[in-house]
Amino acid sequence: MAKTIMIVDDSATLRQVVSIALKGAGYDVLEASDGKDALARLTGQKVHLVISDVNMPNMDGLTFVTEMKKLPAYKFTPVIMLTTEAGADKKAQGQAAGAKAWVVKPFQPAQMLAAVSKLVLP
Amino acid sequence: MNLDDALKTFINESRELLEQMEEALLGIEQQPDDAELINGIFRAAHTIKGSAGLFGLEQIVAFTHVAESVLDRVRDSLLVIDAELVAILLASRDHIGSLIDHLAQGETPDAATHRQGSELTERLHRYLNQTPAAARAAMPVEHAQIPERETGRVADTDNWHISLRFGREVLRNGMDPLAFLRYLGTLGRIVRIVTLTDDIPALSELDAEGCWLGFEIVFSSEADKATIESAFDFVREDSHIRILPPRSRIAEYLRLIDALPNEDMRLGEILVRCGTLTPAELDSMLEMQRQGDATEHAPIGEVLVEQKVVQEPVVEAALVRQKQIKENRNAQNASIRVDSARLDQLINLVGELIIVGSSANLIARQIAHPALLEVTYNMTRMVEEVRDSAMSLRMVQIGATFSRFQRVVHDVAQELGKDIRLEISGGETELDKTVVEKITDPLTHLVRNAMDHGIESRAQRAANGKPEQGVLRLNAWHESGSIVIEVADDGGGLNTEKIRAKAIERGLIAADAGLSEHDIHQLIFAAGFSTADAVSNLSGRGVGMDVVRSNIESLRGSVELLSQAGAGTAVRIHLPLTLAIIDGFLVGVGRERYVIPLETVEECIQFSVTELNLASGEAGYMDLRGEVLPCVRLRDVFDVRHSSATRESIVVVRHGARRVGLVVNALYGELQAVIKPLGRLFEAAQGVGGFTILGDGEVTPVIDVARLIELSAGPLHSRAGGLPAAA
Amino acid sequence: MGDARIQLGQFVIEGELTIYRVTELQQTLLDLLRRCDAVDADLSQVNEIDGAGLQWMVAAKREANRQHKPLRFAGHSRPVQEALDLCDLGAFFGDQVVISSQAWEGAGS
Repeated sequence: MAKTIMIVDDSATLRQVVSIALKGAGYDVLEASDGKDALARLTGQKVHLVISDVNMPNMDGLTFVTEMKKLPAYKFTPVIMLTTEAGADKKAQGQAAGAKAWVVKPFQPAQMLAAVSKLVLP
Repeated sequence: MNLDDALKTFINESRELLEQMEEALLGIEQQPDDAELINGIFRAAHTIKGSAGLFGLEQIVAFTHVAESVLDRVRDSLLVIDAELVAILLASRDHIGSLIDHLAQGETPDAATHRQGSELTERLHRYLNQTPAAARAAMPVEHAQIPERETGRVADTDNWHISLRFGREVLRNGMDPLAFLRYLGTLGRIVRIVTLTDDIPALSELDAEGCWLGFEIVFSSEADKATIESAFDFVREDSHIRILPPRSRIAEYLRLIDALPNEDMRLGEILVRCGTLTPAELDSMLEMQRQGDATEHAPIGEVLVEQKVVQEPVVEAALVRQKQIKENRNAQNASIRVDSARLDQLINLVGELIIVGSSANLIARQIAHPALLEVTYNMTRMVEEVRDSAMSLRMVQIGATFSRFQRVVHDVAQELGKDIRLEISGGETELDKTVVEKITDPLTHLVRNAMDHGIESRAQRAANGKPEQGVLRLNAWHESGSIVIEVADDGGGLNTEKIRAKAIERGLIAADAGLSEHDIHQLIFAAGFSTADAVSNLSGRGVGMDVVRSNIESLRGSVELLSQAGAGTAVRIHLPLTLAIIDGFLVGVGRERYVIPLETVEECIQFSVTELNLASGEAGYMDLRGEVLPCVRLRDVFDVRHSSATRESIVVVRHGARRVGLVVNALYGELQAVIKPLGRLFEAAQGVGGFTILGDGEVTPVIDVARLIELSAGPLHSRAGGLPAAA
Repeated sequence: MGDARIQLGQFVIEGELTIYRVTELQQTLLDLLRRCDAVDADLSQVNEIDGAGLQWMVAAKREANRQHKPLRFAGHSRPVQEALDLCDLGAFFGDQVVISSQAWEGAGS
């Protein structure tokens, strides 16, 4: 049974590339363009991992993670946050929101794949 | 992996982002404190960098990284944005743009681009060198390994030893210890594993979502230490993880044991059991530990820090930086940022307060108790003040929006080969933040339109005896409780005949319709009027004037076009000051009541039925001090039955340049109306802009005067707006 | 256990044996142990297990032992078996664990 990963980022490019990489490795992929969109798409289906950007329009990544963790079905869903190396204070906030895994942008698809497989193998 | 499509997406997306970045940069000078603008600029750079990294576009990543770092400092209020910085950022934006262009054409950037890039990098770096600690935090940190190879007895094994004690919250954070073990399996082979279950409490006392697991692992792998360590990147902070390379010194195993003093006997046994140590080695270790007790028994904390030695400066730098940001904010904040949702909540509450207040008012009037009346009067006044100050919190000046058009005008003029100057006035005019956000798109369209179609070419202007330089004016002012925004040009004006012909061709008006010039001009806002051949590629961005109109109408505004042949065109957008609360005038028609926005009411006239020769279902006219005033019966518009026709009043309302008399039965006076949006059911209701709840709880329609005037004005507008047969 | 009738509690864990379920399963099992003399837990329908699930199994087994009531995990599905192998916990649960899901026939002890 393939594991499902949701990627939340306002960059269509990033979603597309990460999605190609993940699908190539055998994951199922859901895409959302911002926090609001992502919440709307979380309708109870099993999601094994969420990859989310921090800085997005409509609803930023930290708010999204906080909201997602309130949903019983996604309370314990692991989150990889995408960050810049400059975002130290964001990281602290993110930790508090329950996002413990961070990947620094920019990254290459292989790096993302490695990070993902530490948490969920396909 | 075929990334060609993704690369195309990247190029398009980057160009869009660069465009947004430019607009924001041009706006930022006027509003250097606008957090959203700054964040928007940062986000654009950030996204481009992130996406470029996916394709390994190092040049774009490297350059954008520097720009992003500078922007991050602006965002954290460590840097103040000024004209010079804006200029550099604009140049940086353009540089990223040319890198993207080269990429799109499949070329490598030429020498000139390189030179430009390094020049800009240098200039940007100057903004980064002001506080070294923060700059250090901004740089990527490598998790370097401290090679510690002293002499001493080594354990005789070719395997790694990994000791894991997961933090209590690991599972709740979504991390599964088993997942890390599985990942470890991809880096090498787990030779032996001992799962430590001793810490798991009894079932009846178990916090089942807490993590109580630990593992001792003998691991065979060709990977280097950094790679193996990286497996635990995501849990390193709240777990105890120790990794001993093959043939580590016995002293290091001792340290491993020391780190968990409660377990030391058992752990020693485990190490032997795992085959990491031989029994002899364990003995030697325990001997060392006994000696160590007296002299240098390292506390756990130290051991941990020792292990994380590389991270210490990082943590420190981050802390220093956070502290700086905090201090900065405390020092400079004469204003505070408020979440707009909280503001909306306040406005909502004020709305409720007004409703409750008016019901108190109503009761006081019924009871007619003098003291009560006075109290409610005072209360009403104060509620009004609260309302005004609450609304003012949402007000922003339109100047920043206007100034964004400087570059648009500059660039578009160049593109068109025209010489056009932008004049801005009324930038200090304030309006609701929501309105400002939503007005930008229609404004952009109108500006481009005016430059493209309005202002003539240089040659033509010269031939007409006009100065070669055309003028585009953006202006804003308050007018009877609403805001007017004007986009005006000194171009050739509209060609009335051409518009009439096109409207007839499109079936928008009858060939023999008797329309004033003004009416004909408004036709360009009609749906289906503008077509591909009517617009050049500049303004024809898929948004016709009808979309402009509907955008504005969705804000309860209206748009009007004034044009004079040879002298120019002005488009005036009328917008309500706010979207939430209005002063209203309550009138009665039969048993029904309606609220008319007070700002539109000019006067009220009483008359007897006979004076007005107004047949049912038709628009009529009356003589108002020598002027012809078109009149419409609300009774007919809203199809109200049981209307007693003995006494009627006329409420003269005005919108823009047009006036109309609304015939009603009763005048109840002024009130505050909290506008509730129309339900889906009523979206089609013509001439109603929303609902309000009166003090007595009754739901009452609020009349959309602009729409009503349009409806009452005859066949032209009935075609354009699709109004019911009644009018 | 002098009673002639032995109350056997049986339950089937379906779907996830993960952190999302363990608190509920903890209660289920405590109730069963209170009411019954022996408990059979069918793991054949478990499609996913994590560290929390594993902990629960360990704690459940210990609790049963403490109360001297046999708790048998049976019909280990493939994900459960894999997890036990990964952590080398087979021995902890005794011989029942080595029964593969195909070979297990649902017979009592």
